[in-house]
Amino acid sequence: MGEVITVTSGKGGVGKSTLSANLAVGLAEAGKRVVAVDFDIGLRNLDMILGLENRIVYDVVDVMEGRCNLSQALINDKRAKNLYFLPASQTSDKNILEREKVAKLLEELKKDFDIIILDSPAGIESGFEHSIFMADRALIVSTPDVSAVRDADRVIGIIDAKSDKAKAGEEVKKHVVINRIKQDMVDKGNMLSVEDVLSILALPLIGIIPEDENIITSTNEGEPIFYHQKSPASNAYRNIAKRVLGEEIPFMDITQKKGFLKRIFG
Amino acid sequence: MTLFERIFGGKKDNSATKAKDRLTIMLAHERADCAVPYLDDLKRDLLKVIKKYTQVRDIQIKSENNQNIDMLEIEIQLDK
Repeated sequence: MGEVITVTSGKGGVGKSTLSANLAVGLAEAGKRVVAVDFDIGLRNLDMILGLENRIVYDVVDVMEGRCNLSQALINDKRAKNLYFLPASQTSDKNILEREKVAKLLEELKKDFDIIILDSPAGIESGFEHSIFMADRALIVSTPDVSAVRDADRVIGIIDAKSDKAKAGEEVKKHVVINRIKQDMVDKGNMLSVEDVLSILALPLIGIIPEDENIITSTNEGEPIFYHQKSPASNAYRNIAKRVLGEEIPFMDITQKKGFLKRIFG
Repeated sequence: MTLFERIFGGKKDNSATKAKDRLTIMLAHERADCAVPYLDDLKRDLLKVIKKYTQVRDIQIKSENNQNIDMLEIEIQLDK
């Protein structure tokens, strides 16, 4: 049975979809059968990051409402042959998902795939609840700023309350991904450091993604940055995928070279 | 803080430290709201019990929470 991994954050725009896309590619490249599902109903995005927007015929709501088969709606990725994608619907009614139908769809996906990645919508409304209640694990994305960390904290606080697994007394694994770290700002004391964020959120870390302009160009082109192997962010996503698969990868040191005095005293 | 920074006062009042302090305080409050909805009732009942034995001026209940621990700190000020 497949594992359901929900990517969530609370605040919007912190990099959930980019993480979902690149993690999905990374896991598929590692040989897993992966499906990435865009749960942000009404605000489709994952398709653009994966570069699959032109291939969409049916969407996740069509499947749930029985307007098509699951296999008709699944889109095979261009490069990663083990990766499939299920797009969000563009309906303006974001409350269209029903819990029973979501459960049925996920049960079906769990039979066919090793890993199901759910790209959750921002916020803590019904869309979030639908993307979390079947989760085996949750990755909480935050950028190192006060609003993202605050919202991440709120989300972390309600995951267990919304999770079927937690209600059954089992553990939902929760890990933090810290996105868009600018180490030079951290060094000057003008940005929360990884340690700061972790001490506030009190959860284990699974990835640190440095600020990287290549993300913008790769999103422009619809080519996940995972394939842009020389970029720092690509390396970070690769490491997250490995850690999700249970490998122990040391966290990369993104600290800039220290000055002479700091090297002696630091 | 490294020795260098301590000597030269590098990181004392920078914006990251402020952000961390503000967040810590804010979240302690927000978590407390969700974690201990019974705070007022608890305070009232505690007062009742303690008054049975001694004179009490005030009870302060502080709640501290993070994802790992929930703690209630109860301070009882007695009347002299």
